[in-house]
Formats: sequence, C-alpha cells, structure tokens
Amino acid sequence: MFKHRAQLMSRINGFLMFFPYLLLLVMFAVVPIVLAASVSLEESLTNPGGGFGNYLFVLQDFRFLPALINVLLFLLIYLPTMLIVVAGLSLMLDSIKARHSVPLRLAYLVPAGITGSVAILVWYFMLEPTYSPFAPLFAEFGWTQGTDIFNSSNLIYIFALMTFFTGAGNWIVIQYGSLQSIPDELLEAARIDGANSLQVAFRIKLPLIRKYLVYMLVLVMAAGLQIFVEPYLLSSSVYPGIAKDWSLNQLSYTLAFLGSNLGAATALSLMLLVVMLGLALIVIFRTDFFDEAKTKIKES
Amino acid sequence: MTLTEAKKVTVRKKKINAKALPAKTLAWVVMVAFALFSVIPMTWLVLAPSKTQVGLQEDPPMSFGTFQGYIDAWNNLMLFQDGRLVTWLWNSIWYTSIQVLVACLIAILGGYALAATRMPFRKSMLITTLVAMIVPQVAFVLPLFVEITTLGLYDTAWAIILPGTFFPFGVFLSYIYFSTTIPHDLYEAARIDGSGDWGVFFRIALPLSKGLIGMLAFFSFQVNWINFFLPYVVVNSGEVLTLPVGLGILFSSTPALNPQVGANVLPIRGPEIALAGLLIAIPILLIFLASSRLLVRGVLAGSVKS
Repeated sequence: MFKHRAQLMSRINGFLMFFPYLLLLVMFAVVPIVLAASVSLEESLTNPGGGFGNYLFVLQDFRFLPALINVLLFLLIYLPTMLIVVAGLSLMLDSIKARHSVPLRLAYLVPAGITGSVAILVWYFMLEPTYSPFAPLFAEFGWTQGTDIFNSSNLIYIFALMTFFTGAGNWIVIQYGSLQSIPDELLEAARIDGANSLQVAFRIKLPLIRKYLVYMLVLVMAAGLQIFVEPYLLSSSVYPGIAKDWSLNQLSYTLAFLGSNLGAATALSLMLLVVMLGLALIVIFRTDFFDEAKTKIKES
Repeated sequence: MTLTEAKKVTVRKKKINAKALPAKTLAWVVMVAFALFSVIPMTWLVLAPSKTQVGLQEDPPMSFGTFQGYIDAWNNLMLFQDGRLVTWLWNSIWYTSIQVLVACLIAILGGYALAATRMPFRKSMLITTLVAMIVPQVAFVLPLFVEITTLGLYDTAWAIILPGTFFPFGVFLSYIYFSTTIPHDLYEAARIDGSGDWGVFFRIALPLSKGLIGMLAFFSFQVNWINFFLPYVVVNSGEVLTLPVGLGILFSSTPALNPQVGANVLPIRGPEIALAGLLIAIPILLIFLASSRLLVRGVLAGSVKS
C-alpha cells in the first residue's frame, strides 16, 4: 500500500517537473505547426477552393525547382567535405599525444565564432581580392576582381565554405572526444596483432565512431537544407540580387513577406518540416544511435 | 631541425615502423595547416578595426594599425542612429541571459523527470524530444511567425525570447546525464531516507550536475546569441532588435560592404563593420575556449556512450 502511494507521488512529481518543458513543447513546436497548417489550407488568392492548392502552387512556382537544385548541389559539396575532413582530422588528432593536440584543438574551435551574419562579413573580406589575405593565391587563378569570385556559378562553393568552416572545427573536437572513449585495451590488442596505425584508424576506430559520424551528417544535412542567412544577406546587401531566392527558405521568406502570400509560404515551410521529421524518425528508429537512450527508459 | 629534434626522429625511427614516419609527418602538416587556416579569419577580424579604410585595402592584410583605430571605429559606429548599436548589444545580452537561465532550468527539470521519476508517457516524451532536437529551429520560423502574430506578440522582445527557451537538446542531455552519470541507487537510497522526488532533485541531483549545467548553458548561449532568422522575421523596430540582425542592417544601410550604398554619408566602412562583427564573435569565441575542456571530454562520448 505504502509502495503504491510512493509510486503515485513519483508519477505526479515527475509530471510536475516535466510540465514546464511540455508547455514549451506545445507552445513552440506543436501549436505553430497546427496554426501554420491551417493557414496553408485556408482559402486565398492562390488557393481559391481551400485545401492543398497552396502546396501545388509552391511546387509549380518557377523558383521552386532552381532553389531545390541549388540546395541539393550545395549539400553535395558540403556533406562529403564535412565527413572527410572531420573524420580525417579527428583520427589524426587521436593519433598524437593528447597534450600535443591541445593547441590544435583550440585553433579548430576558433571559427565557431564566425557564424550567421558575422560569417557573411568575414568571408566577404576573405574572398574580396582588394582586402583578402589570400589575394596572392587568388591572383594565381586570375581572380583579381570581387566579381571573379562572387558570381552565381560560385555560390554553392562560397556557401559550402562558410557553413563548413563554422561547424567543422566544432565537430572535429566532438568526434575526437568520441575517439578518446575507445578503450585502450582494444587498440593495444589490434597493435599486438600487427596492425599499423593506419589500419587501426580505418579498421578499428572509424567503425567504432561510425554512428556518431552518421548522426553528425543528419544534423548537418537538416541544417543545410534550411540554409537562409548566408544567401539572404549576401544577396540583399552585399551583391544585390546575386542569390535572390537561391534557397528554399529564401523562397518561403519571399512568398511570405514580399509576395504577401503567407499560405504558400507556410505550405513550403511545412513541406520542409515534413522532410526534417522524416530524417529525424529515420535516425531514431532506423539507426542504432539512440538505442541506449531508448532502452534506459524501459529499464526504469 | 635542431639537434635534439633530429635525435628524437632517429630514435623514433628505430622504435616504430619506418613506413609510419612519412604518414605521421603528413598528418602533422595537415593538422597544422588546418589550424592556421582556422585562425586566419578571426585574426583578421580582430586586427581590422585597428586600421583605417585605406589601411585595410593597402597595408598587409594581417598587419596591426593603431589602438586609436578601435576608438575611432567605435566613435564612427556610434554615429549610426544615435548609438543604436549599444541598444542592440544590450538587447542581445539581456535576451540571451533570460533564455539561457530559463532554458537550462526547464531542461534540467524535464531531463530529471524523464530519468529518475515514474512520470507517465516517458518513452513517447523521450521520442518527441529526440524528434524536436533533430529538426533544426530554422524549420519552425514561419510557423512561429504565424503564432506570434496570432498572439499579438509581433515586434516585442518576447517574440524573440520565448521561443529560445524551448531547448529539447538540453532535455536530452540532462536525461542522459541523470540516467547514466548518476547511479540509480543513489536516488533510491535518498528515497529510502525519506526524501521526495523534489528533495532528491535539489539535494542530490542538482549539486552533482555542475558539468551538465555548464554544457547546457554553453549550447543554449551559442544558439540564441547568434540567432538571425527568427528575430529578423518577428521584430521590426530597431530598438527591439538584436546585434546579429543589427549587423545585417548595417550591411544594407552603410557602404561598408557595398560601395553602391553611396548616399549614406556616415563614415561606417570596413573597420567599423569589422568592430561590430567582433562584438558578436568575441563572446562566442571566449565561451568556446573556456568550455573546450567540456567539449573535449566529449559531448557525445560522455553522454551517449555505447
């Protein structure tokens, strides 16, 4: 009887502790989605009969496909670069003595401060030949004018560079942390079996951090699909029009605030959100990344 | 190469596989090159406000101007809308402070409830939290805009602050922390001693979670301090804006990055805009460097250990 009462108290207290977060979850995740969905389904100029007209309108918009292609090409450059550099450098860091790698790790964290609007500012000066410390290098390629670099065919590389640079160091240090948690006995055993350091890196360490790398790729991809600040600011103030409606989120911004078509804008937003939810569910149910977290809750 | 270094190399050659040496050298070259490449842009940003606009174009890019340069750049920035930059800076500071404080408190309580109480629907709440943490915040911007206008919060500080207190990643980190780092027996022992859930939370769990609190504060600060899209969309008045959005306004209303904005007579050019950017970047940099030990110990390794 007493035990039953204690369990009941624990249920109530647990709920009370969880409640503030639950309130925020409802307020800032569930309600916005419901409201946006209802706006997207309302009758409007582009959606005369109500229903899914806005979704069709967005998909048929002449700017949609180019924006989708831009974002996908950008991801095609950005994701593999991120994977190779992060995996490579964290393995290299792990192969040297921890204390020797301290200054390197600190240096890799420095670019994390250069993000969002600051990234546009800094990379403008880094890439503009008049100001750039890399100007002599650019000259070798014949790039002497700003427009040699800032032109529409280079945009995917420019944005990939900006976003890669902001996040890579952070992830290198995080993955290095994962590598550090591999038990020494395991690595020692491999060495005794005659594996050299390259073999240890590729056959033992890499498979062991595989799931962390997959998790990183999903987060990076989700964020990359949503790219907005970099193309928006570059195009709205630095080189006017250079990346107009370049990304999907820019298009939804344009629809909402310049085209006064909130219905179509929320429709686009929700379609992106559904892709994100799909990605999230794949990670949660189709990979082993959260297995430990999920089983923990069953035990208790 | 000094004599001792040469000696070390020869000693190593004897000790380890001779084939491994070129690979090791190559690894060092790559690591050092990437480190240099990592610090150049930030170093440039720190140096830029010390120079004049002419110096920025003509002096070597990585050179230092004068300390007076920083003061001049600051004074010039203050000419923009009667020192609006100070308002933005102050807004950024107090918005972020509230967000970090509230987000961390709520996340710790939520994570603890998932890990150590018998709260109902724990599993489904955990899955929901995982979903919310993987979907990037940017995906919610337009839906949030619709909600904020419906609530009548458009163009108020709360439109920026409130959504930033929702911190599912923090709940997840806290949940992992309370269910792995602190042994379950400890909670049980405290309960047998007669402490209720709240007592266990305040007397046992909270005092043991300094590392966790540091990590949560670090992540929520990072996300909120630099947030651009949501503040940009839900706020219109200059006096409610934050520094990152303000920087974007400086881009479009001064000739600093786009000489074609010529009608503007304010002396806000390269050095001034760099100083404004530095005000955003420096706090992030300092917090990153200060918590690099937390990061190195492994956000993932420590929390999602296999």
